Amino acid sequence: MAYTISNECIGCMACAKICPTNAVTGEKKQIHAIDPAACIECGACGRVCPSRAVLDHFGLAFERIPKKEWDCPQFDLKTCMSCTICLDTCPVSAISQALLLKGNPHLFPVLADEALCIGCGFCAGDCPADAVTMVPRNRESRTEETEKA
Amino acid sequence: MTTPKGYMGKIMMVDLTTGAIETEKISPKVYQSFLSGMGLAAHILYHRIPAGADPLGQENILGFVSGLLTGTGSLFTGRWMVTGLSPLTGGWGEANCGGSFSPAIKRCGVDGIFFKGISEKPVYLCVDDQGARLETAEAVWGKDAVEAETALIEKHPNARVACIGQAGEKRSLISGVSTDKGRLAARSGLGAVMGSKNLKALVLAGKKRIRVHNREEMKRLSKICNKWVQFQPPFVPGWLTAPVGALMRILPFVATQDGLLYKIMLRKWGTVSMNQISVEMGDSPIKNWMGSSADWGFFKSFSSQPDRFTRQETEKFHCYSCPLGCGGICKTKGRFPETHKPEYETVLSFGGFIMNKDVDLIFYLNELLNRAGMDTISAGHAVAFAMECYEKGIITTGHTGGRALEWGDPDDIKFLVEAMVARDGIGDLLADGVKRAAESIGPEAEAIALHCAGQEPAMHDSRNDPGFALHYSVDPAPGRHTNGAGLYYEMYQLWKKVKGVPKMGPAYMKSSKYKKDIHHARVGKANSVYLNVMNGAGACLFGGFIGATRIRIFDWLNGATGWQFTPEDYMEIGANIQVLKQAFNIKQGLDPKTCRVPDRLLGRPVQTRGANKGRTVDVETMMKDYWELFGWDRETGRPTEETVNRIASIA
Ligand code: SF4
Ligand code: SF4
Ligand code: SF4
Repeated sequence: MAYTISNECIGCMACAKICPTNAVTGEKKQIHAIDPAACIECGACGRVCPSRAVLDHFGLAFERIPKKEWDCPQFDLKTCMSCTICLDTCPVSAISQALLLKGNPHLFPVLADEALCIGCGFCAGDCPADAVTMVPRNRESRTEETEKA
Repeated sequence: MTTPKGYMGKIMMVDLTTGAIETEKISPKVYQSFLSGMGLAAHILYHRIPAGADPLGQENILGFVSGLLTGTGSLFTGRWMVTGLSPLTGGWGEANCGGSFSPAIKRCGVDGIFFKGISEKPVYLCVDDQGARLETAEAVWGKDAVEAETALIEKHPNARVACIGQAGEKRSLISGVSTDKGRLAARSGLGAVMGSKNLKALVLAGKKRIRVHNREEMKRLSKICNKWVQFQPPFVPGWLTAPVGALMRILPFVATQDGLLYKIMLRKWGTVSMNQISVEMGDSPIKNWMGSSADWGFFKSFSSQPDRFTRQETEKFHCYSCPLGCGGICKTKGRFPETHKPEYETVLSFGGFIMNKDVDLIFYLNELLNRAGMDTISAGHAVAFAMECYEKGIITTGHTGGRALEWGDPDDIKFLVEAMVARDGIGDLLADGVKRAAESIGPEAEAIALHCAGQEPAMHDSRNDPGFALHYSVDPAPGRHTNGAGLYYEMYQLWKKVKGVPKMGPAYMKSSKYKKDIHHARVGKANSVYLNVMNGAGACLFGGFIGATRIRIFDWLNGATGWQFTPEDYMEIGANIQVLKQAFNIKQGLDPKTCRVPDRLLGRPVQTRGANKGRTVDVETMMKDYWELFGWDRETGRPTEETVNRIASIA
């Protein structure tokens, strides 16, 4: 149940560039296509497409969202159990680990570089402890809150 | 066809001789009958490895499998397993490991990756967006497991790597497969199989999603489990663990173990928490199974008290999906800057088992052997074997190149282990395990070579817990401590979840542990069957120890797949897997009776002092009872043809 690309495609290649699994193929200025076997439904292509050409599996078109408005994860370290599920599930390996709590030898997840994140929300969806919330990026408080916890 | 949930529904078959890589669909019926993981592997290998295959030849198939529950939002389910015909035992080979490699297999869209044939040149398998391909491993061949993994990740960023070190390359029969820079799937000698195939590594960078039937239910069950894991009251300081063990030795009754206590210790220290307790209560063998707690008292074992290890620990290491984190990364002195925190098995194999008090040496050997990809349990036995042989004049300075071998001498130990890694001189002999070494030294050495069908038993004394004697003997991959024990059964608390398994009260008299009755075999059967379910699910033994009502394997399996099986249905699956593995051994000509633990481990002759004084274990009767409970022939351990055919015909 992969995403698809409609005739609205202008062949700008934005989706092909961002797709973390290289599922999108197509020449410049030609209609692109998504390989259903490779697509993981992260939606990144839809968020970058300037002409609403990407359709989800219900056939609904995605709205383009400027990258600076994409959500990215915030980790609640009080609930986090250091299980590394979010690290593994992230399709762009944007999450790493660090010793974040003083006197606590367990490693906790961090999104060191927001720019890597494609806003798919897999980390939040897969976290069994519900320790991840998706919040707007570039929010000053994001890192602060993480540190406070 | 409906999309598979929980499992991926496919396997990858790589023919190293021809270079062909194929993906095969596996029917849902197979998963419903054997789960994924070890069960799936048993199904594939039973049918595809021909009788009489050479373990180091073309026909052997080496399989890397992930668990059904891996990646489904369940906890403690990040184990991966390597399987094949074992060159060490000539029968079913399996080794089990944590770390981060298990989900990487599924993210390539398959539940298992299998290798047949032999590559002409060293290669590694790479799976990523570009698909699956074999690449030359010339650049990493000869490197140790840590160097090789580092180099491969540099070339394939964000990939997960499983590889062999020098031991596997040199086909040491006690070598394993390493991931996460030195965590080893160590047993059954499967590193040698990988080496014989000229396969250096698997480099996996797939990104497939793992589908789940009911993610909310998975999370609900995970939260229940995590609540118990986070329950962490303060516990005694490290030096007090020994008196706790001594108390357990002295008391005439035993409180049925609630694994929550062990969980607390694991969270605080890891498996090294057991170092001194085990010695004191008689669980840890001393001096090649000749000695006892009386020879390795509190002060001698003190150097391995658990705080010693956490002091050197810079951070905890969690396997994938583990909320506990019993592992750790430790700073070390000398040649290697850091190492995975040595495990109990390693510390004891190179501690009391060879009468060594030098814990810095253990840190060094741990890293050396992890890098070489050599099993520390078998390696410890090989050292003990050499020392006892030397003491008895069976090997001489002629064998050792002029060196006298002395129990516990750090230089002698270092010499032997380094020689084993290099396969140099006497090390070449020892690097294939004690059975092979004894065969080439001569009949006098055979009584000193302690193994079950070629595999060295682990650091848990069968005279203290007869369950170990049973499982070391009856498991299709014999000699391994992870197969089961009386103590494990107490901690699983299976009777709270499953109908028809033996119930246990809150306490019992210690003497009942050593009574001859059918109870041992009943418990043994339940242990084996439940372990098969856990290994099909990819679950961690330590997770299992926190008790079946707290770690809800059966419910997770239903939640992940959408099946509606009862716990009893799953136990039936586990029993079928046991049949397949047993039938695998029989097909390969391994006689179940010959897998029995050696006499010394059974208290023959009986120990005259220490914790296990006066104890003998009638393992022969236990084995027969166990086989009979499975419906197999009581005398031969063979399942009936009809049973095997019924299970083998599932496709
Ligand atoms: S949804 Fe994600 S994986 Fe699928 S084509 Fe778009 S970017 Fe690629
Ligand atoms: S998945 Fe959740 S609990 Fe696990 S490490 Fe990530 S944030 Fe923490
Ligand atoms: S939302 Fe989470 S999983 Fe997705 S790209 Fe960002 S960090 Fe990775």
